[in-house]
Amino acid sequence: MGPARLWYSTVLFLLTLLITVPSQAQGPTEQIKETTDKILAIVSDPSLKSPDKKEEKIRRLRKVVDERFDWREMSRRTLARHWAERTEEEKEEFIRLFGELLERTYRDKVDSYSGEKVVFVGERVDGDYGAVKVKVVGQDQRDIPVLYRVKKKGNDWLVYDISIEGVSLINNYRSQFNNIIVRSSYDKLIKMLRAKVQGGEEKSEE
Amino acid sequence: MRKFDLELAVGLFMIAGILCLGYLSIRLGKMEVLGGEGYELQAVFSNSGGLKEGSSVVIAGVEVGRVKKIYLDEYRAHTILTLPSGVEIQEDAIASIKTKGLIGEKYVEITPGGSEKVLKPRERIRDTQPAVDLEQLISRYVFGKL
Repeated sequence: MGPARLWYSTVLFLLTLLITVPSQAQGPTEQIKETTDKILAIVSDPSLKSPDKKEEKIRRLRKVVDERFDWREMSRRTLARHWAERTEEEKEEFIRLFGELLERTYRDKVDSYSGEKVVFVGERVDGDYGAVKVKVVGQDQRDIPVLYRVKKKGNDWLVYDISIEGVSLINNYRSQFNNIIVRSSYDKLIKMLRAKVQGGEEKSEE
Repeated sequence: MRKFDLELAVGLFMIAGILCLGYLSIRLGKMEVLGGEGYELQAVFSNSGGLKEGSSVVIAGVEVGRVKKIYLDEYRAHTILTLPSGVEIQEDAIASIKTKGLIGEKYVEITPGGSEKVLKPRERIRDTQPAVDLEQLISRYVFGKL
Protein backbone atom coordinates (compact mmCIF):
# COMPACT_ATOMS: atom_id res chain seq x y z
CA MET A 1 0.00 0.00 0.00
CA GLY A 2 2.73 2.40 1.06
CA PRO A 3 5.16 1.80 -1.80
CA ALA A 4 2.34 1.76 -4.32
CA ARG A 5 1.23 5.15 -3.24
CA LEU A 6 4.80 6.35 -3.37
CA TRP A 7 5.16 5.11 -6.92
CA TYR A 8 1.99 6.86 -7.89
CA SER A 9 3.07 9.91 -6.02
CA THR A 10 6.11 9.94 -8.23
CA VAL A 11 4.01 9.46 -11.29
CA LEU A 12 1.49 12.06 -10.30
CA PHE A 13 4.19 14.49 -9.43
CA LEU A 14 5.58 14.19 -12.85
CA LEU A 15 2.17 14.57 -14.35
CA THR A 16 1.27 17.72 -12.52
CA LEU A 17 4.04 19.49 -14.35
CA LEU A 18 2.03 19.52 -17.54
CA ILE A 19 -0.41 22.05 -16.22
CA THR A 20 2.00 24.97 -16.48
CA VAL A 21 1.90 27.58 -19.23
CA PRO A 22 4.35 26.91 -22.06
CA SER A 23 7.46 29.07 -21.92
CA GLN A 24 10.57 29.46 -24.03
CA ALA A 25 13.10 27.92 -21.69
CA GLN A 26 11.34 25.19 -19.76
CA GLY A 27 12.36 25.02 -16.15
CA PRO A 28 12.64 21.86 -14.08
CA THR A 29 9.07 22.06 -12.81
CA GLU A 30 7.60 22.30 -16.29
CA GLN A 31 9.67 19.44 -17.61
CA ILE A 32 8.94 17.11 -14.74
CA LYS A 33 5.29 18.00 -15.06
CA GLU A 34 5.38 16.94 -18.69
CA THR A 35 6.59 13.53 -17.68
CA THR A 36 4.15 13.19 -14.77
CA ASP A 37 1.25 14.08 -16.97
CA LYS A 38 2.26 11.47 -19.49
CA ILE A 39 2.58 8.87 -16.76
CA LEU A 40 -0.76 9.74 -15.22
CA ALA A 41 -2.37 9.48 -18.62
CA ILE A 42 -0.96 5.97 -19.00
CA VAL A 43 -1.91 4.68 -15.56
CA SER A 44 -5.41 6.08 -15.73
CA ASP A 45 -5.99 4.93 -19.30
CA PRO A 46 -9.02 2.61 -19.20
CA SER A 47 -7.89 0.70 -22.29
CA LEU A 48 -4.75 -0.43 -20.41
CA LYS A 49 -6.49 -1.58 -17.27
CA SER A 50 -6.85 -5.26 -18.12
CA PRO A 51 -4.18 -7.74 -16.91
CA ASP A 52 -3.13 -8.71 -20.43
CA LYS A 53 -2.28 -5.07 -21.08
CA LYS A 54 0.05 -4.86 -18.12
CA GLU A 55 3.25 -5.45 -20.09
CA GLU A 56 2.26 -2.80 -22.61
CA LYS A 57 1.51 -0.37 -19.80
CA ILE A 58 4.88 -1.01 -18.18
CA ARG A 59 6.67 -0.68 -21.50
CA ARG A 60 5.07 2.69 -22.15
CA LEU A 61 5.76 3.89 -18.62
CA ARG A 62 9.39 2.84 -18.92
CA LYS A 63 9.71 4.80 -22.13
CA VAL A 64 8.38 7.95 -20.48
CA VAL A 65 10.60 7.47 -17.45
CA ASP A 66 13.66 6.93 -19.66
CA GLU A 67 13.12 10.37 -21.15
CA ARG A 68 13.33 12.05 -17.78
CA PHE A 69 15.70 9.93 -15.73
CA ASP A 70 19.44 10.04 -16.27
CA TRP A 71 20.19 6.38 -15.64
CA ARG A 72 23.92 6.78 -16.16
CA GLU A 73 24.13 9.58 -13.63
CA MET A 74 22.05 7.60 -11.14
CA SER A 75 24.22 4.52 -11.64
CA ARG A 76 27.41 6.50 -11.11
CA ARG A 77 26.08 8.04 -7.92
CA THR A 78 24.85 4.69 -6.65
CA LEU A 79 28.13 2.83 -7.20
CA ALA A 80 29.98 5.94 -5.96
CA ARG A 81 33.60 5.07 -5.18
CA HIS A 82 33.35 1.83 -7.11
CA TRP A 83 32.26 3.41 -10.38
CA ALA A 84 35.66 4.66 -11.57
CA GLU A 85 37.20 1.18 -11.26
CA ARG A 86 34.70 -0.37 -13.66
CA THR A 87 35.35 -0.94 -17.36
CA GLU A 88 32.96 0.64 -19.85
CA GLU A 89 31.28 -2.74 -20.46
CA GLU A 90 30.76 -3.24 -16.73
CA LYS A 91 29.30 0.26 -16.46
CA GLU A 92 26.87 -0.40 -19.31
CA GLU A 93 25.82 -3.67 -17.72
CA PHE A 94 25.31 -2.04 -14.34
CA ILE A 95 23.24 0.79 -15.81
CA ARG A 96 21.00 -1.74 -17.52
CA LEU A 97 20.64 -3.93 -14.40
CA PHE A 98 19.98 -1.00 -12.11
CA GLY A 99 17.19 0.25 -14.35
CA GLU A 100 15.68 -3.21 -14.47
CA LEU A 101 15.98 -3.62 -10.72
CA LEU A 102 13.93 -0.48 -10.15
CA GLU A 103 11.44 -1.46 -12.81
CA ARG A 104 11.01 -4.86 -11.23
CA THR A 105 10.64 -3.32 -7.78
CA TYR A 106 7.82 -1.08 -8.87
CA ARG A 107 6.17 -3.00 -11.68
CA ASP A 108 3.40 -4.44 -9.56
CA LYS A 109 2.40 -1.01 -8.32
CA VAL A 110 1.27 0.18 -11.72
CA ASP A 111 -2.09 -1.44 -11.19
CA SER A 112 -2.87 0.24 -7.91
CA TYR A 113 -3.37 3.81 -9.06
CA SER A 114 -6.45 5.19 -7.36
CA GLY A 115 -6.85 8.80 -8.32
CA GLU A 116 -3.88 10.32 -6.56
CA LYS A 117 -3.04 13.88 -7.44
CA VAL A 118 0.28 15.63 -7.56
CA VAL A 119 0.62 19.12 -6.17
CA PHE A 120 3.71 21.13 -7.01
CA VAL A 121 5.04 22.82 -3.93
CA GLY A 122 8.13 24.58 -5.17
CA GLU A 123 11.40 24.49 -7.00
CA ARG A 124 14.95 25.52 -6.24
CA VAL A 125 17.52 26.10 -8.95
CA ASP A 126 21.24 26.55 -8.40
CA GLY A 127 23.07 26.80 -11.69
CA ASP A 128 22.86 23.45 -13.47
CA TYR A 129 21.26 21.74 -10.50
CA GLY A 130 17.72 21.92 -9.25
CA ALA A 131 15.24 20.39 -6.88
CA VAL A 132 11.49 20.16 -7.47
CA LYS A 133 9.28 19.62 -4.47
CA VAL A 134 5.86 18.02 -4.77
CA LYS A 135 3.36 16.30 -2.62
CA VAL A 136 1.19 13.45 -3.64
CA VAL A 137 -2.28 13.68 -2.25
CA GLY A 138 -4.12 10.40 -1.90
CA GLN A 139 -7.71 9.51 -1.24
CA ASP A 140 -7.37 9.76 2.52
CA GLN A 141 -5.82 13.22 2.25
CA ARG A 142 -2.44 11.90 3.39
CA ASP A 143 0.28 14.02 1.81
CA ILE A 144 3.48 12.33 0.78
CA PRO A 145 6.36 14.72 0.15
CA VAL A 146 8.48 13.84 -2.85
CA LEU A 147 11.60 15.66 -3.96
CA TYR A 148 13.09 15.36 -7.45
CA ARG A 149 16.74 16.30 -7.82
CA VAL A 150 17.54 17.29 -11.37
CA LYS A 151 20.60 18.20 -13.39
CA LYS A 152 20.57 20.21 -16.59
CA LYS A 153 21.81 18.47 -19.74
CA GLY A 154 21.51 20.79 -22.72
CA ASN A 155 17.93 22.01 -22.54
CA ASP A 156 16.69 19.08 -20.51
CA TRP A 157 16.38 18.79 -16.77
CA LEU A 158 16.99 15.14 -15.98
CA VAL A 159 16.29 13.44 -12.68
CA TYR A 160 19.25 11.99 -10.80
CA ASP A 161 17.61 11.28 -7.47
CA ILE A 162 14.18 10.96 -5.87
CA SER A 163 13.55 11.47 -2.19
CA ILE A 164 10.30 10.19 -0.77
CA GLU A 165 9.48 11.29 2.78
CA GLY A 166 13.02 12.64 2.87
CA VAL A 167 14.64 9.29 2.08
CA SER A 168 16.90 9.39 -0.95
CA LEU A 169 16.79 6.53 -3.44
CA ILE A 170 20.43 7.00 -4.39
CA ASN A 171 21.58 7.04 -0.78
CA ASN A 172 19.58 3.91 -0.06
CA TYR A 173 21.11 1.87 -2.87
CA ARG A 174 24.54 3.43 -2.43
CA SER A 175 24.79 2.06 1.13
CA GLN A 176 23.46 -1.35 0.19
CA PHE A 177 25.70 -1.79 -2.84
CA ASN A 178 28.74 -0.47 -0.98
CA ASN A 179 28.18 -3.00 1.81
CA ILE A 180 28.00 -5.86 -0.66
CA ILE A 181 31.04 -4.77 -2.65
CA VAL A 182 33.17 -4.16 0.41
CA ARG A 183 32.14 -7.36 2.19
CA SER A 184 32.27 -9.59 -0.88
CA SER A 185 33.07 -8.18 -4.30
CA TYR A 186 31.63 -6.28 -7.24
CA ASP A 187 31.06 -9.63 -8.97
CA LYS A 188 28.88 -10.74 -6.09
CA LEU A 189 26.80 -7.58 -6.46
CA ILE A 190 26.35 -8.14 -10.18
CA LYS A 191 25.38 -11.77 -9.57
CA MET A 192 22.78 -10.67 -7.03
CA LEU A 193 21.40 -8.02 -9.38
CA ARG A 194 21.17 -10.48 -12.25
CA ALA A 195 19.42 -13.02 -10.04
CA LYS A 196 17.00 -10.42 -8.76
CA VAL A 197 16.16 -9.16 -12.19
CA GLN A 198 15.82 -12.59 -13.78
CA GLY A 199 14.54 -14.56 -10.83
CA GLY A 200 12.08 -11.95 -9.70
CA GLU A 201 11.06 -13.62 -6.47
CA GLU A 202 14.57 -14.36 -5.15
CA LYS A 203 15.52 -12.39 -2.08
CA SER A 204 19.06 -11.05 -2.11
CA GLU A 205 21.03 -11.63 1.05
CA GLU A 206 23.71 -9.40 2.50
CA MET B 1 59.45 47.39 50.93
CA ARG B 2 59.43 43.62 51.26
CA LYS B 3 55.70 43.45 51.63
CA PHE B 4 55.33 45.56 48.52
CA ASP B 5 57.60 43.20 46.57
CA LEU B 6 55.64 40.21 47.79
CA GLU B 7 52.31 41.69 46.81
CA LEU B 8 53.71 42.72 43.45
CA ALA B 9 55.02 39.22 42.85
CA VAL B 10 51.69 37.64 43.79
CA GLY B 11 49.86 40.10 41.58
CA LEU B 12 52.09 39.44 38.61
CA PHE B 13 51.82 35.71 39.16
CA MET B 14 48.03 36.00 39.20
CA ILE B 15 48.02 37.98 35.98
CA ALA B 16 50.37 35.49 34.33
CA GLY B 17 48.14 32.63 35.48
CA ILE B 18 45.01 34.26 34.13
CA LEU B 19 46.70 35.01 30.82
CA CYS B 20 47.82 31.40 30.49
CA LEU B 21 44.35 30.17 31.30
CA GLY B 22 42.89 32.50 28.72
CA TYR B 23 45.35 31.38 26.07
CA LEU B 24 44.66 27.72 26.84
CA SER B 25 40.88 28.15 26.61
CA ILE B 26 41.12 29.86 23.27
CA ARG B 27 43.54 27.30 21.88
CA LEU B 28 41.61 24.30 23.15
CA GLY B 29 38.33 25.76 22.02
CA LYS B 30 39.57 25.88 18.43
CA MET B 31 41.39 22.55 18.46
CA GLU B 32 38.49 20.08 18.44
CA VAL B 33 38.98 16.49 17.28
CA LEU B 34 41.32 17.29 14.40
CA GLY B 35 44.06 18.81 16.46
CA GLY B 36 43.68 22.15 14.71
CA GLU B 37 44.07 20.98 11.10
CA GLY B 38 41.21 20.46 8.73
CA TYR B 39 38.72 22.25 6.55
CA GLU B 40 35.07 23.24 6.59
CA LEU B 41 32.15 22.29 4.40
CA GLN B 42 28.57 23.46 4.41
CA ALA B 43 25.42 21.36 4.30
CA VAL B 44 21.81 22.47 4.33
CA PHE B 45 19.05 20.27 5.71
CA SER B 46 15.31 20.77 5.60
CA ASN B 47 15.14 19.26 9.08
CA SER B 48 18.14 18.93 11.38
CA GLY B 49 16.20 16.84 13.87
CA GLY B 50 17.88 18.40 16.88
CA LEU B 51 21.46 18.09 15.69
CA LYS B 52 23.73 20.04 18.02
CA GLU B 53 26.92 21.98 17.57
CA GLY B 54 29.64 19.51 18.47
CA SER B 55 27.73 16.52 17.09
CA SER B 56 29.82 14.02 15.17
CA VAL B 57 30.41 13.82 11.45
CA VAL B 58 30.76 10.16 10.49
CA ILE B 59 31.99 8.39 7.37
CA ALA B 60 31.78 4.59 7.17
CA GLY B 61 31.04 4.50 10.87
CA VAL B 62 34.18 6.41 11.77
CA GLU B 63 33.91 9.78 13.48
CA VAL B 64 36.01 12.13 11.36
CA GLY B 65 34.75 15.57 12.26
CA ARG B 66 32.30 17.74 14.12
CA VAL B 67 29.38 20.00 13.45
CA LYS B 68 30.92 23.40 14.04
CA LYS B 69 27.87 25.56 13.64
CA ILE B 70 24.15 25.28 13.00
CA TYR B 71 21.90 28.18 12.13
CA LEU B 72 18.53 28.79 10.58
CA ASP B 73 18.35 30.52 7.23
CA GLU B 74 15.22 30.68 5.05
CA TYR B 75 13.66 28.14 7.40
CA ARG B 76 16.29 25.52 6.64
CA ALA B 77 19.06 24.24 8.87
CA HIS B 78 22.46 25.41 7.64
CA THR B 79 25.40 23.55 9.10
CA ILE B 80 29.14 24.02 8.96
CA LEU B 81 31.04 20.76 9.27
CA THR B 82 34.71 20.36 10.02
CA LEU B 83 36.61 17.56 8.35
CA PRO B 84 40.23 16.43 8.46
CA SER B 85 42.43 17.66 5.58
CA GLY B 86 43.15 14.14 4.35
CA VAL B 87 39.51 13.20 3.82
CA GLU B 88 38.11 14.25 0.44
CA ILE B 89 34.39 14.66 -0.11
CA GLN B 90 33.17 14.23 -3.68
CA GLU B 91 30.79 16.61 -5.33
CA ASP B 92 28.00 14.01 -5.33
CA ALA B 93 28.43 12.84 -1.75
CA ILE B 94 25.24 12.72 0.32
CA ALA B 95 25.03 14.07 3.86
CA SER B 96 22.27 12.59 6.02
CA ILE B 97 21.21 13.06 9.58
CA LYS B 98 21.11 9.82 11.45
CA THR B 99 20.39 8.79 15.01
CA LYS B 100 22.63 6.83 17.34
CA GLY B 101 20.49 3.83 18.11
CA LEU B 102 16.86 4.55 17.39
CA ILE B 103 16.19 7.41 19.77
CA GLY B 104 19.68 8.57 20.62
CA GLU B 105 21.56 11.69 19.67
CA LYS B 106 21.79 12.89 16.10
CA TYR B 107 24.87 12.92 13.93
CA VAL B 108 25.76 13.64 10.31
CA GLU B 109 26.72 10.75 8.08
CA ILE B 110 28.40 11.37 4.74
CA THR B 111 28.27 8.67 2.05
CA PRO B 112 31.03 9.22 -0.51
CA GLY B 113 30.04 9.76 -4.13
CA GLY B 114 31.51 8.72 -7.46
CA SER B 115 32.39 12.05 -9.02
CA GLU B 116 35.98 12.98 -9.77
CA LYS B 117 35.23 16.51 -8.65
CA VAL B 118 36.07 17.05 -5.01
CA LEU B 119 34.56 19.75 -2.81
CA LYS B 120 36.89 22.59 -1.88
CA PRO B 121 36.93 24.20 1.58
CA ARG B 122 33.74 26.10 2.45
CA GLU B 123 31.85 24.61 -0.50
CA ARG B 124 28.46 23.03 0.00
CA ILE B 125 27.42 19.39 -0.01
CA ARG B 126 24.49 19.65 -2.39
CA ASP B 127 22.56 16.45 -1.74
CA THR B 128 21.31 16.05 1.77
CA GLN B 129 18.81 13.87 3.55
CA PRO B 130 16.95 15.36 6.51
CA ALA B 131 16.34 13.73 9.88
CA VAL B 132 13.49 11.26 9.95
CA ASP B 133 10.78 12.65 12.14
CA LEU B 134 9.54 9.53 13.85
CA GLU B 135 6.53 11.18 15.43
CA GLN B 136 5.45 12.64 12.12
CA LEU B 137 5.72 9.23 10.48
CA ILE B 138 3.72 7.60 13.24
CA SER B 139 1.05 10.29 13.10
CA ARG B 140 0.71 9.79 9.36
CA TYR B 141 0.04 6.13 9.74
CA VAL B 142 -2.27 6.60 12.68
CA PHE B 143 -4.20 9.21 10.76
CA GLY B 144 -4.18 7.05 7.65
CA LYS B 145 -5.83 4.16 9.46
CA LEU B 146 -8.96 6.17 10.16
